[in-house]
Amino acid sequence: MPRPEINWITFSIDGREVKAPENAMLVDAAKYGDVEIPVFCYEPKLGQPVGACRMCLVEIEGIPKLQTGCSTPVKDGMVVHTQTERVHDAQRAVVEFLLINHPLDCPVCDKGGECPLQDITYGWGPGTSRYIEPKRHFVKPLELSPLIAIDRERCILCYRCVRFSQEISEDYQLILNERGAHSFVATFDGHPYVAPFTGNIVELCPVGALISRSYRFRARPWDIEGAGTVCTLCPSQCNVDLTVRDDRVLRVSARDNDEVDDGWLCDKGRFAFQHIHVDERITEPLMRQDGKLVPVDWDTALTAAAQALGEAGPRAAAIADGETTNEEAFLLQRLFRERLDCGNLSARPGGDLPLPLARGLADPALQATVPDLEFAHAVLLLDCDPIDDAPIFDLRLRKGVRRRDMNLVVASARPTALDANATTVLRHAPGTAEALLVALDAALSDDRGNLGGAASAAGSSAQAVQDLLEDLTSAGGDIVILYSERLFGGPRGPQAAEALLNVANRLNLTGEGAGLLEIPIGANGRGVREAGFAATHGPGFAPVANPGLATHGIAEALAEGQLSTLYLLHTDPLRHMSDGELWERALSSAQTVIAHESLMTETVATHADIVFPGEAYAEKEGTLVHPDGRVQRLRRAIGHPTPFNRHPGSGVRAGWQVISDLAKLLGLDFGVFAGSMASQQLFAAVPFFNGLTLDEIGGRGVRWPAREAARLAFGETSREPVALDVPPAAAVPSEDALRVGTFRPLWSSKEVDVSPILQYARPTQVVELSPVDAERFGVADGDKVEVGVNGTQVQGAAKLRHAVPEGTVFVAEGLSDASSSLFNYGTVQLRRLGGSAEESPINPIIGMPAIGESPFNPPRHELRESPPGTAPRMNE
Amino acid sequence: MSTLLFYDEIDKPGLASLSTYHDIGGYSMLRKALDMEPQAIIEQLLASNVRGRGGAGFAMGRKASFLPKGDMDKYLVCNADESEPGTFKDRELMQKNPHLLIEGMAIASYAIGASRAYIFIRGEYMHQADVLDAAIAEAREAGFLGDRVMGSDYSLELWVHRGAGAYICGEETALLDALEGKRGNPRLKPPFPAIEGLYQGPTLINNVETLMNVPHILRMGGEKFAEIGTSGSTGTKVVCVSGCVRRPGNYEVELGTPTRDIIYGLAGGPPEGRKIKCWFPGGSSAPVLPGTDEYMDLPFDFESIAEAGSMLGSAAIIIVDDSVPIVDVALKTAKFYRHESCGKCTPCREGTNWTVKMLERIENGQATPMDLDIMASVCDQILGNCLCVLGDAMAMPISSMIKHFREEFEEHIEMARERNGLGAAIPVMNRDERGPDRSAEYSAVGH
Repeated sequence: MPRPEINWITFSIDGREVKAPENAMLVDAAKYGDVEIPVFCYEPKLGQPVGACRMCLVEIEGIPKLQTGCSTPVKDGMVVHTQTERVHDAQRAVVEFLLINHPLDCPVCDKGGECPLQDITYGWGPGTSRYIEPKRHFVKPLELSPLIAIDRERCILCYRCVRFSQEISEDYQLILNERGAHSFVATFDGHPYVAPFTGNIVELCPVGALISRSYRFRARPWDIEGAGTVCTLCPSQCNVDLTVRDDRVLRVSARDNDEVDDGWLCDKGRFAFQHIHVDERITEPLMRQDGKLVPVDWDTALTAAAQALGEAGPRAAAIADGETTNEEAFLLQRLFRERLDCGNLSARPGGDLPLPLARGLADPALQATVPDLEFAHAVLLLDCDPIDDAPIFDLRLRKGVRRRDMNLVVASARPTALDANATTVLRHAPGTAEALLVALDAALSDDRGNLGGAASAAGSSAQAVQDLLEDLTSAGGDIVILYSERLFGGPRGPQAAEALLNVANRLNLTGEGAGLLEIPIGANGRGVREAGFAATHGPGFAPVANPGLATHGIAEALAEGQLSTLYLLHTDPLRHMSDGELWERALSSAQTVIAHESLMTETVATHADIVFPGEAYAEKEGTLVHPDGRVQRLRRAIGHPTPFNRHPGSGVRAGWQVISDLAKLLGLDFGVFAGSMASQQLFAAVPFFNGLTLDEIGGRGVRWPAREAARLAFGETSREPVALDVPPAAAVPSEDALRVGTFRPLWSSKEVDVSPILQYARPTQVVELSPVDAERFGVADGDKVEVGVNGTQVQGAAKLRHAVPEGTVFVAEGLSDASSSLFNYGTVQLRRLGGSAEESPINPIIGMPAIGESPFNPPRHELRESPPGTAPRMNE
Repeated sequence: MSTLLFYDEIDKPGLASLSTYHDIGGYSMLRKALDMEPQAIIEQLLASNVRGRGGAGFAMGRKASFLPKGDMDKYLVCNADESEPGTFKDRELMQKNPHLLIEGMAIASYAIGASRAYIFIRGEYMHQADVLDAAIAEAREAGFLGDRVMGSDYSLELWVHRGAGAYICGEETALLDALEGKRGNPRLKPPFPAIEGLYQGPTLINNVETLMNVPHILRMGGEKFAEIGTSGSTGTKVVCVSGCVRRPGNYEVELGTPTRDIIYGLAGGPPEGRKIKCWFPGGSSAPVLPGTDEYMDLPFDFESIAEAGSMLGSAAIIIVDDSVPIVDVALKTAKFYRHESCGKCTPCREGTNWTVKMLERIENGQATPMDLDIMASVCDQILGNCLCVLGDAMAMPISSMIKHFREEFEEHIEMARERNGLGAAIPVMNRDERGPDRSAEYSAVGH
């Protein structure tokens, strides 16, 4: 869809001629003339203006009444006055009105000092009040949710939070209750406001009415510094601004970048910063002595690691994930390839793709951008659910559907959060996304035979595939396919990649505004691969002489004793890899496991022999690559945590430094003395990064596929569709066996596990099944059930969902316990174990409390404290 | 004897039934309309210069002509949310002659090209809603509504939607929100409903009485209709007279009839021995006018009343005689608007609340004449600065009361202070002289 064109016009404001984009709202247009019109309710991110606060009244010649600047589009030749007595009177009146019921408790209010109401009162208010009547009173503060405290006396009823809930996150929970001067913001039935994006309302609130409970009473604006960086907790890589006081991160706010996050954050990104300052942080090197991990100095740890790696040589292996930066990945692969002559490197839990396919998928012409998700004519959501995989994309897709009438086409095994917004929904069997792509390819090439075969292999029908294709292609040529890296998991990964490239080719996704967008599993999955950390290719998809083993191969080889030393860079294979049982054996058999990790996880505690303390993202410098190819910079916001022994130099060190020191001990000198030098080496080694500088990346990032170097590196690529074979059909559910699919909940991460405020959201295992199956098995919602096959069992609470297709169950993976990474796709048996499983107030799927099971049971708006032990206290 | 359009036969037995209505020539105008070009009907409406009877007095023909032409989902909505204090004309009209409204709506829908029409009726009008439902069922049965109206190519569905009791839903955009199933809050204008209204389609919204005029306009011809009344205010008007008069009720008069004839002639004037202190010419949101001869001689039409500093509004005349303290009138009025403010925009939400609190202070003898200035200033700050006109609807009458009856307010303040043992309203510098601290009583006023 073409982006709106900007037409510049000239209008007059306060006697000056100003150029501004036509139809921009006056409030925005005025800024082009350095005129500020005060606003409370206006926030362009929230969509259409509502004109509720009346703060932005201005005088326009030719219109008798004052007009709201937030809702009046500027036209050529318009004459606007913001400094007349009439306008001043109206502004003073609105401020006076807003303050009559406001407690004016600025000295104890967390917003004081960074409060729009305060600023506007000083700038435009009357200075005094004539109001002597008693003010409105509410019980306060209240827990609006485990994350947010609400002070209704401070609220100026600007509607921002309500509009966010209704029109942006579309969770439809916040409303205004009552009317007139009695209005107050609440969830409609008084249950806690729990949803994936609630924290944004804290940032939207123009007064201190909505305060994040993790920041309440922690600092005043003159105590704090802001530090811009990038959140590495999921592949969305939202731009964030960290609030730092005394070298501690106290708050995470959005650092608006329309190209990345549109100015929103999810609650994980906003509140899981607490993992930076918890007791679980590893702050010094550790080594296993007599079965226990004990602190050692860096020399000892590095020497031991160097020795283990040196001895292993080609029998070493490394896997990386999560917040690994491009530089760390690049240096570690150099160490492995150049010194150990070893290519056993992998960042893909599902295994690495052959080089031509990896390169083909990275073709700059095929890359869609994040804004394309909003402006495309149609988006195909292919077997992923952004709410769990990359939450901020979820908001972008909602925006596209709501404001630009985009066709959203969902083809997924598990019901997604976006189903209600979709034009078409196709449910295929778990693990058959490849078959679906083959069917789409066949439909596009009019191959009736393959279409029928592949569609039924996917557990769907030829007609359903054709309907989906119709909705995908009918609106226009700008089509984006959003898919997850999980598509390539398993032995048929390469065939799935072929099928995807075929479909992309036939849909002609090479144009601007169209393309593919992959959600990697690791936060920097794309960058790590492009830096060369892969079994099948070197930096910048360079061919390698002897490809190594990928993840599954590494696990098998370790378990069989063919490999001896494993380097884990910010990753936990027991949690994040499929085949948990194989990895359990692999880690037990490995002679030396080197863990480079920031938090003491179960895996580190049980299996690591040498532990390098890792940095949290707020302490890191380096670069990342966003799923759409945007190279972004991590900037160091705080220093490394102090080690227990308080000896200088004995604590956490930068990742690049650790790897560099390790290489030095093995006789390889990278010549890297600073993080930026590692970046320079990376930019020089990866052809399509050539010429990049950290300055150029700056605060907003640079999309490498849009750079000249990318064109030079990839050249003119053209690809002919290849013949595809129909993949094996999905397992068929029978009387006692159900298909099984897995999903990774948004909240399943080690950072959430250790963040005190997010404990309410920590997922537990659930077994999602359809009510029809539940009836057949005699299972009620919340019952404890067990699913399993061949002696591998997972227990969890039954969760009845109408949208789950009959004959299928879904279980969560990536949990700290009861992980389902034991299953591959297939069928499982289901058994009811008993009544309601252990209390799980919050459903991990979308983080909503089950109705009637709220951990608070607040009586409407009168709650002051939650019952003991159920949630963190207000003042904690 | 002035022309009567509605009240000549309104008490005819069985008028609410289709057969009686049909016997007196009902639905013949719909037949006529269906044989006309839609544009020709709008021309007739324009020629008649009939102005909206709901309050704002906007010419109906012009409003209808704003709707875009062409094939799209358009809607006609009848605003039957008659909630303005003092107004009760639509109630009687709908109850006694529902088919006239249905016929008017069918003609108007045909004229603008709407195939769906709604009557948004005030929730408390339960009987009237039942009457309308029954009448619509009859009309549909007889082919005046539904598929292929009277055998033509035109189809129309008409529904009655019952409101839930909020005054604000009489505001056209709030009404649309409520009709869509949302909370009834006014929308930002523009876009006006004629361009983007119900379900974002072009929508014509008119009052019950306005739509009931449509068959008459078609019967008489627009130009002939325009001869009734004055040049700027054509037609007749049902006037609801209430308050301190001997014969309160609905009276249909030609617009331009002298006010005295309505208040003293038709309604019988104030009770024996009383004098009219002031009157609301058009419902409680119209500024009050004093009961002096100068104002009694005004012709009762849109222009004259506006020129006198008030508005015709819904033509609900409320008479206040000299036995009623003006402060009571002001407090009652302000309380109504505070209660009904939706709370969306600041000046109305806070201003109505503040005004009530100040008036309560006056009533309790805790005010000084200075508070009158503040109150006038607060009303001034509301006027014209709100999202919809509800704020203005309180500010206008209160300002007018202060303007016309300031002396009475001041007298009331002094007397109430004396009753309260507070002494004269002069500035008091220290607490002891200010009398007992009554702030504890106030805290009950808020929440």
